[in-house]
Amino acid sequence: MTPLTISKKSNPETEMSGMNQLGLKTKFPVVAGLVLLLALVPLLHLSLGGFGYWLHMLLYTFMYIAMASAWNIIGGFAGYISLGHNVFFAVGGYFSAVLLVYFDISPFLTTPLAGLAAMVLGIVFGLISLRTRGPAFIISTIALTMVIKIAFDNWDYIGGSNGISLPLSSLSNEVVKIPFYFAFYAIALVTVYSSYRIRHSKFGLGLRAIAQDEMKAELAGIQTRQYKIMAFGLSGFFVGMTGAIWGDYLTFLRPTIFLSILVAAKLVLMTVLGGKGTVSGPVLGAILFILINEFFVTVLGGSELNIVATGLLLAVVLLFFPKGIVGTLKDKGLLPQFLDWG
Amino acid sequence: MNALVQVLLLGIALGGVYALMASGLTLIFGVMRIVNIAHAAFMMISAYITFWAFTVYQVDPIVSLLFTMPIMFGLGVVIYRVFFASIAGSEKLGELSVLLTFSLALILEGVLGYLFTNTYRSTNPDYAIKAILFGPFFIPASQLYATVLSLLLLVVFWIFLRYSRTGNAIRATTQNRESARIVGVDVERISMIVFGLGTALAGASGSLMTFLFSFYPGKHWEWIAILLSLIVLGGMGSMFGALIGAFLLAIASSYVSFYFGPNWSPITFFLALFLILLIRPQGLLGKKMEA
Repeated sequence: MTPLTISKKSNPETEMSGMNQLGLKTKFPVVAGLVLLLALVPLLHLSLGGFGYWLHMLLYTFMYIAMASAWNIIGGFAGYISLGHNVFFAVGGYFSAVLLVYFDISPFLTTPLAGLAAMVLGIVFGLISLRTRGPAFIISTIALTMVIKIAFDNWDYIGGSNGISLPLSSLSNEVVKIPFYFAFYAIALVTVYSSYRIRHSKFGLGLRAIAQDEMKAELAGIQTRQYKIMAFGLSGFFVGMTGAIWGDYLTFLRPTIFLSILVAAKLVLMTVLGGKGTVSGPVLGAILFILINEFFVTVLGGSELNIVATGLLLAVVLLFFPKGIVGTLKDKGLLPQFLDWG
Repeated sequence: MNALVQVLLLGIALGGVYALMASGLTLIFGVMRIVNIAHAAFMMISAYITFWAFTVYQVDPIVSLLFTMPIMFGLGVVIYRVFFASIAGSEKLGELSVLLTFSLALILEGVLGYLFTNTYRSTNPDYAIKAILFGPFFIPASQLYATVLSLLLLVVFWIFLRYSRTGNAIRATTQNRESARIVGVDVERISMIVFGLGTALAGASGSLMTFLFSFYPGKHWEWIAILLSLIVLGGMGSMFGALIGAFLLAIASSYVSFYFGPNWSPITFFLALFLILLIRPQGLLGKKMEA
């Protein structure tokens, strides 16, 4: 039967060892060096001063690297487009915010719990919505955003539509960004590493089979339903964690900030831009998008034109480079090795 | 008891408008398998045209349908050519079309926001504040006019689909794109016309919206979420499903509004969507979805 030969061909073990031969030795130092270098930026700030803007931009980039990579687990690997991932962002953010405001527990401690809360929501939602696929599924993710938005807007305990303010950090202005920097950095590393491990596991193989042909995947014995629900929950877990830290960083949470459709749009755009279903695609996409966005903000200013630019960019990528940068380069054999992680 | 009947009437009096809003969406999906996330953004464009015609030249919003519908038809045709003509036959059209129309919605929202700011707008013709009495009950004149007009438009549209040559070709394409091509339907041309018609229907509902609900560019997200839920409930691509869904949900949401307050009324649509996904994923009148 064809499905069997497919799974044999891309057996995770052989693929992994194949990758070892294909230069894991040369590309590992590049990435490890980069990872170390980024850990040193706060030191630069402490010793020389004046790197506040860089710290902010980098931690913002780390956040989106984590979120886009998380989105990619369900949207890229499994091919289930979600336009509702800002819900996990909001649930994670509010979860930790409430624990801070009412119980005085720092979000830095409750971040994994916030991730779990988002994951539970993802699983419950998945149980209902992953019964359908294609357009109806995407629509249900939009509906999820709206339900959570209405609920949060009208829930006085968490501040309703006015939002909720968090106590300010006791740290001085000079160093206040540094814990956030490392928190986002850690979350980004964990998410990207998880995405890499998933991509090269039996689980990831199952997800990719679902993306290609769900019927055949099911016939080949893959528990498609469990796989999809797990992918959706995991994806929510990482986004929920970023929400927890971002809320504390802003010191102010409001449904319109966290549940803006623009957040969901960015995750899709970054992943599609970089390359849907690849490990390095969302990372590259997040970095590029934030660079482009900074450029637009300085040149165009207004937030309305910014929305136009986001939409235009997404349309152009979809129409002309549907495989994204990583996918397109790979097809042409031009992908630099340090970006080739499957 | 009287209050409950009154709430029912108010619900019914919005159902026709919802049906008109959803009709273009479900038509385009039925013929082309395109989920048009930008549908409500099209409504916004038409709403702004209507608003300015009313504010500057005192053109009655209902009269403005005479020009918003043709304008929106033209716009739909142009947008179809630019965005969708090249991908019409592509394999992952469903997914791609959602993302493409999503980006289109962002573009339109940004342009409208840039041109007209985010101020809440609405038109106020005389009938916007009148009510029509039926014994102890009332219906706001605006809602009654809008719903009756919507239903009229839908009947005209149904006659067109049923009895005209183009209408038959559209229905054939909805049933089976490939077979329609084989029997000589110019599927490309039909797709273009349908996209234009769907957009014109969005235009008509956008004009009517101006005196029923206040709006601003970003408002289209709330509308599209409601309308998409509605067509999933009815069965995607089914016109009658959309009609039934529209009335059911208009009535249900007016009761939710009565018991829990107007803030909660939109949630009716989304909970109905989740409910239908649990018990009948293909929707009330939908066919089983193909793989």
